[in-house]
Amino acid sequence: MKTILAAMKTSISEVMETMFFLPVEYSEKPAEKEVRMLKGKQNKACCLDFSGDFSGTVYLLVPIRSLKEMAENFMGEPGDLFGDEILEGTLTETVNMMSGNALRKVNTEVPFQLSIPRLIPGSEFPGGEGSMIIKTTGPEMAVHVILR
Amino acid sequence: MISLLIVDDSLPMRSVIKKTIRAAGYGQSEFLEAANGKEALALLKNNWVDMVLTDHNMPVMNGLEFIRAVKADEILKTIPVVVISTEGNESRIREFMEGGAAGYLAKPFTAETIRDLIVKFLGEANYDEDYSGGNENLDF
Repeated sequence: MKTILAAMKTSISEVMETMFFLPVEYSEKPAEKEVRMLKGKQNKACCLDFSGDFSGTVYLLVPIRSLKEMAENFMGEPGDLFGDEILEGTLTETVNMMSGNALRKVNTEVPFQLSIPRLIPGSEFPGGEGSMIIKTTGPEMAVHVILR
Repeated sequence: MISLLIVDDSLPMRSVIKKTIRAAGYGQSEFLEAANGKEALALLKNNWVDMVLTDHNMPVMNGLEFIRAVKADEILKTIPVVVISTEGNESRIREFMEGGAAGYLAKPFTAETIRDLIVKFLGEANYDEDYSGGNENLDF
């Protein structure tokens, strides 16, 4: 788990800085409380399964206000008129890039296969060990990794 | 003017790739878009493009299946198809190349890497230095 979380942290920083122009910090506070706070806001969430030498799921939870800011940075356009297709597409592409980029950094015998990202209700975002709070100069979001 | 087909199931990502290419100097480019390999093959039946940029992880028909279909077609097989994907360990890239991909670019990418890619396959001839494209946020 430590290996995948370390790879995920590096990957998240690369994706957020390269594609969204947002420097990243990781919260050192216990994530569970902060995840509950993010779940209390209007949000969107998605997840992506991966399989290979080991298998699991990566979850991403982003408050809608933060997601709009991310989409604005990503698309280079004001986000006032962004509909669900753009916001949800940004969210699923983000989890796809974060996961694929992280798994590229893990040495394995069997290449990882990624599923198509799928949207889930924010209430289904898991808590507990494996959760990370990502802080940027603007948006804040949560990532959770489950290994099976 | 160059003509490109972008195949990606993410509407924002297709838009970002287009803007990045324009911001990289190819302001006069013409773009076709498809959300998966099957849609892309349908477009290629009636439209000629200079180059295809495709994702791999897509529903209906993934990037590798799409590349194999293009390379099996006597007319389409000369079109360079480059994979732009998050999936990129060595064995996966080998699979893309053996399937007929002309190149591979990892996501996340920068404007420079996209520009280098286009120059590599299509040359500098169409480079449009004066184009600003209104994409200041993509100046990375």
